[in-house]
Amino acid sequence: MSDGWRQHLYHALLWLVALFFFSPVAWIILSSFKTADDILAVPPKLFFEPTLENYVALFERNAFLQQLTNSIVLSVCAVLIAVTVSFLAAFCFSRFKPRGTDFLMFLLLSIRMLPATAVILPVFLMYVAFGWKNEPIGIVLFYAMFSIPFSVWILKGFIDGVSPRFDETALVNGASYWHVIFRVILPQVRPGLIAAFIFNLIFVWNEAVFNFIIGGIDTHNIPVALWTGAYADGGVDWAFIATMTSVYLIPPVIFIYFFQKYLLVGMTFGTVRGEV
Amino acid sequence: MADTTVSKSSKYVLPDRRNALMAVLSDRRYLPAILLIPVLVFFLVWNTIPLLWLLGLSFHNYSLTSGQDPRFVGFQNFIRIFQDWQVWYDLSRTLLFVFVGVSLQTILGILLGLLFWGSAKLPGRRLALTLLFAPMILTPVATGNFFRLIYDPTFGVLNAMIRALGFDSIDFLGNASTAFWAVLAVDVWMWTPFLVLMTLAALGSVPKAELEAAEVDRLPWLQRLRLIVFYHGKFILMLGILLRTIDSFKTMDLVLQMTRGGPGSSTKLVAVTLYRQAFDSFNLGWSSALAVFLLLISIAFTATFIFVLNLRRQRGQS
Amino acid sequence: MPDKHSKFGRNPGAGESKLILPRRTLLKGASATALAGTAAVAMPRYVYSQQREDHPLAGQTIDMAILGIAGWLPSSLAVQMSPLFSEYAQERFGYTAEFSFADAPFSGLFQRAATSLATRSQEYNIIISDSQWLGALASPGWIIQLNDVISQNPNLDIEWYGPVVPNTYMIYPDGTDQIWGLPQEGDTIALFVRKDLIQNEDERRAFRERYNAELPQTFEDFEDLTMTEFEKVAEFFTRPDDEIWGTAMQYSREYDFCSCYLYPFMFSQGGDIWNPETGQVEGILNSDINAMAMEQMRHWLRYQPPGAVNYGIAEQIDVFTQGKVATCFQWAAVGLAMITDEMRDQIMVVAPPKHGVGDAADRIYTMGGQPWVVNAFNDEAHMRVSIDFLNWWYLPEVQLEFARRGGNPCGRDTLTSAGFDDLQPWFRAFKFMLEGTRSRDFWHHPKYAEMLSLQQEAFTSYMTGQTADPMQALNFAACGQQQILFDYGTASEGPSRACRGISL
Repeated sequence: MSDGWRQHLYHALLWLVALFFFSPVAWIILSSFKTADDILAVPPKLFFEPTLENYVALFERNAFLQQLTNSIVLSVCAVLIAVTVSFLAAFCFSRFKPRGTDFLMFLLLSIRMLPATAVILPVFLMYVAFGWKNEPIGIVLFYAMFSIPFSVWILKGFIDGVSPRFDETALVNGASYWHVIFRVILPQVRPGLIAAFIFNLIFVWNEAVFNFIIGGIDTHNIPVALWTGAYADGGVDWAFIATMTSVYLIPPVIFIYFFQKYLLVGMTFGTVRGEV
Repeated sequence: MADTTVSKSSKYVLPDRRNALMAVLSDRRYLPAILLIPVLVFFLVWNTIPLLWLLGLSFHNYSLTSGQDPRFVGFQNFIRIFQDWQVWYDLSRTLLFVFVGVSLQTILGILLGLLFWGSAKLPGRRLALTLLFAPMILTPVATGNFFRLIYDPTFGVLNAMIRALGFDSIDFLGNASTAFWAVLAVDVWMWTPFLVLMTLAALGSVPKAELEAAEVDRLPWLQRLRLIVFYHGKFILMLGILLRTIDSFKTMDLVLQMTRGGPGSSTKLVAVTLYRQAFDSFNLGWSSALAVFLLLISIAFTATFIFVLNLRRQRGQS
Repeated sequence: MPDKHSKFGRNPGAGESKLILPRRTLLKGASATALAGTAAVAMPRYVYSQQREDHPLAGQTIDMAILGIAGWLPSSLAVQMSPLFSEYAQERFGYTAEFSFADAPFSGLFQRAATSLATRSQEYNIIISDSQWLGALASPGWIIQLNDVISQNPNLDIEWYGPVVPNTYMIYPDGTDQIWGLPQEGDTIALFVRKDLIQNEDERRAFRERYNAELPQTFEDFEDLTMTEFEKVAEFFTRPDDEIWGTAMQYSREYDFCSCYLYPFMFSQGGDIWNPETGQVEGILNSDINAMAMEQMRHWLRYQPPGAVNYGIAEQIDVFTQGKVATCFQWAAVGLAMITDEMRDQIMVVAPPKHGVGDAADRIYTMGGQPWVVNAFNDEAHMRVSIDFLNWWYLPEVQLEFARRGGNPCGRDTLTSAGFDDLQPWFRAFKFMLEGTRSRDFWHHPKYAEMLSLQQEAFTSYMTGQTADPMQALNFAACGQQQILFDYGTASEGPSRACRGISL
C-alpha cells in the first residue's frame, strides 16, 4: 500500500517536472487564443474568453501557406539528402575503415563547430558569385551540409553495432555490396536513421538566420516570417507570434510523440538495440 | 555479314557498358571511394571553399556597402581584433555563458534523467516526455520574442507572479546586471531537456545484466552509479555535453531576439558581435578575421575534448 | 472632421489581394468596409486622364516587387495602395503591373536589401529605404541617381514643405545637388497626450495646487513648453501605484532607437555629432553639452514605466494604448497605431517640448521617415514601371489619399491644401515639426551602419547603468567613429592618443 503511494507520488513528481518545462510553451499556446488586449492585460489573465480570431487571421495571411510549404519542403528535402549521404559514408567508415577515418570524422564534426555567421558570410559571397542565392536548391544543400556531421556520427555507431557476419553471409551468397547496404544493413539501423532524421529536422525546421540571409521571398520559412512579421503597424504583434508559433509546433511535437522510442535509441549511438 | 557483326556487337555494347558501370560500382576496390564521394563533395563545396574564401577575406579591408574594392591589408584585421578590448570582453562573456549554461544544463539534465530513469510505468509517459522536450523544439526566434513579453516588468506574467508574492517588479532585460542571467536562464530552460534526453539514452545503454549483478551484490547505489552507470554511459553523455558546448558557443538568435546584445553590451556574445559586424555593418574583412579566430578556438576546444575522451575510452578498454 | 472610415474605404478586398497586411490594419479595414459601405461609395473615384499614351509596355504584364519595412504602417500603406497604381497603369498606359512585397523589420531591412543588391539582382525593383542609408546604397551603385529622371519627369519636380525634406530623404552627399531618393513617408517626433487626463478638471486643480502652475491644455500651450516645465507634468502623472507613468521615450538598443531620442537633447542645446566637411568626430560628439544631454535623458527614466530602457517603437505603442502612460514621445508615422478607435477623441498630438531655458530654449528633434529608392539593376521594363509608379505616387490625389489612410506626405501643395490639418490628429504637429530647423537628420554616410551600431552600444551602455560616466561612453563612441571615418578616407585625422585603450 505504502509502495503504491510512493509510486503515485513519484509519478506526480515526474508529471510536475514535465509540466514545469512545458509551462512557458503552454503560455504561448494560451496566448494564441487571446485577443491582443487580453495578452497585454495586467495582471495576466489565466481565464479568459478564448477566440479563434488569431487563427483565422493567420490562415488568411497570403504568405503563410507558402512559408509553411517552404518550411516543410526545405527541411524534409535537406534532411533526406543528408541522411542518405551520411548513411553511405557511415557504411564506408564502419566497414572499410579507410585510412584517416578518425581524422575525417573529426573534420566533419568541425562543420558543426563553425559559428553560424562564420559560415554564412563566405557561403553568402559564394552563392552570390555562383548565382545560387534565393534558389531553394542552394538552401536545401546548405542545410543538408549542416545535418551531415551528426548523422554520420549516429549512423556509424549503429552500423558498427551490426555484426559484419551479416554482410559476409550475404556476400558469400552472391549478393552485391549495394544489396548488403540497402537490404541487409539499412533495416537494422532504422532507429539510427529515424533519430538522425528527427534530430536534424528540428534544427532545419527552426532555422531562421541562414534563410534570411541567403534566401529570398520564395524560400523564406516560418521562422523567418516570425522574425520579420513580429510587428504590425509599429507595435509588436504578440497574437501573431503566439499563433504562428503554436501552429508551427504541431508537426515536431507529433514527430517526437510517435517516434520518441527511436529518438531515445538513436541517441545511444548504436550501443543499444531495442527499448530505452 | 558485316551488318550482322555490327548489329551483333552494338547489341552487346550497351549491356557491356552497364555491366562495366555495375562492376565499377560494386568493385571492392572502388566502393569505399564511391561511398565517400557525396560527403566529400559536400565537404569541399560547403566547407573548404567557404573557409578558404573566409581566410582570404580576413586579410582584406572590405565593406560590402562602401563601394570600394577589397584592399589587401595583411594582418591588420587580426591585430585590431587582438587589440580590441571589446572583443575580449565579448569572448569572456561568451565563455561565462557557455560554462555556466552548459554546467547547469548538465547537472539538471543528469538529475532529471536519473529521475525519469524508472518511469517505465508512468501513465502517459510518452506525452510527459514530449512535453518535457517541447522547449528544445520550439522555434528559438519565437522563444526569444515571447520571453521578452514574459520578462516584461509591466505586462509580463513572471513579474505578475513576483508582484503577487509581494515584491517589486524586476526589469530583467533592462538591467545590465540581470539581463545576462535572464537570457542564460532561458537557454538553460531550452536545452536542459536535450541533456535529459542524452542522459536517458546513456542510462539505456547500460547493460541490464550488470545492474542486476550489482543488485545481487548489494553494491551501494553511489558505487553502482559510478562503476556501472557512468562507466557505460559516459561516452554518450560526453558527446551530449560536447554538442551543447559547441552550440552554446554559437548562441545568437536567442540573444538577437531578446536583447540584441544589450543593455549596453552585457549580453553581447561573440556570435552576436560577429553577426552584427558582418550583416548589420557589412564590415566583411574584419568579421572574416574574427570568424577565423573563433573557428580556431572551437577547433582547439573540440580537438582537446575528443582527445581526452578517446584517451579515456582507450584506457578504459585496455 | 476626418472621416473615420475613408482611410479604409478603398481598402482592396483582403482575401483576393496578394498583399501581406498587418493583422490589426486588416481587421480594422474589414470592419470599416462592412460598416461603411456608403463611405466607400462616397469616396472620390480617381479621375485619370482618359487619353491613352503610347506606352512601350502596352499590352504587357510586368511583375514588380517592392521591399518595405515590416509592420510599419507607411510601408504597408504603399502596399495597400499599389492596386490603385495597377488600375491607373492599365487605364493610362495599357499594361498590367502586378505587385508583390517583401518586408523586414528596421534592423533587418538593410540586410535584406544589401544582400540582394550585392548580387546585382532585381529581386526588389523599388525599395523603401531608411533615409540614413542613402550613402550606403548609392556608393556601391546599387540605386539610380534620380536627377535625370526628375528633369525628364516634371511631375517629380516637387516643391517640398521645407528644406529639411530634400536634405533628409533625397540628397547624398550632404550639401550637393545629387538626388538619390524621393520621400515616401515624412516623419518627425511628436508628443502624444492623453486629453482625458490632462484636461480633467480634478487633475488640473491638483496640479495647480502642487506646482502653482497650469497643466498645458492646447497645442499652443505645448508649443511654448520647455522640458523643465514638461517635467512637472511627467512627474505629476507618474503614479506607479495606479500603474500609470508620466511619459515614454525610446532607449532601446535596436537599430537607431536610442540615438534618435538622445539627439533632441543634444541638438537643441547646441551639441553636434560630427563635422560633415572634415569628418571630425572627436571633440564634437564627446562634448560637455552632449554629456549633459545624456544625463538629462537618463534622468527622464524616472517618469517612465519600469523596463523603459528597452523601449522601442513597438513597446511604446503597447504602453500608450494600454493606458500606462499619460504622454508619449513617438514618431508621427505610427499615429494610427497610437490612436486606437476607442481613444480617438481622447488623444491630442502636439509638438514635443523645447530644451533649455528662457530665450536660449530651442527645439531640434530628429527626422524619421523613409525615401523611395530605385534598384539600379532593373531592366528597362522594370525601370520604366518604377518611374511610372513614382510619377503616380506624387499625383496630388494619390498623395491626399495616402494622407487620408494615415501616411505623411511631404509636398508643399499637399500639406497646405485646405482641410489637410484635420485629416489626421497628428498632422498639425507633423507640419509644425517640419518647419524651419525644428527637425534634422543625421549622417547619410556609407559607413552609417557601423557608426550607428557603435554608438548605440555606447549610449545604451550609459542609459542602463553599465557605464557610469556619460563622457566615457561618448569618448568610446567618438574614438570608434573617428577610426571608421579615417579608414574610409572621410576623416583626415585618425583617433587621437587619448583613444588608446578606451573602453566602455
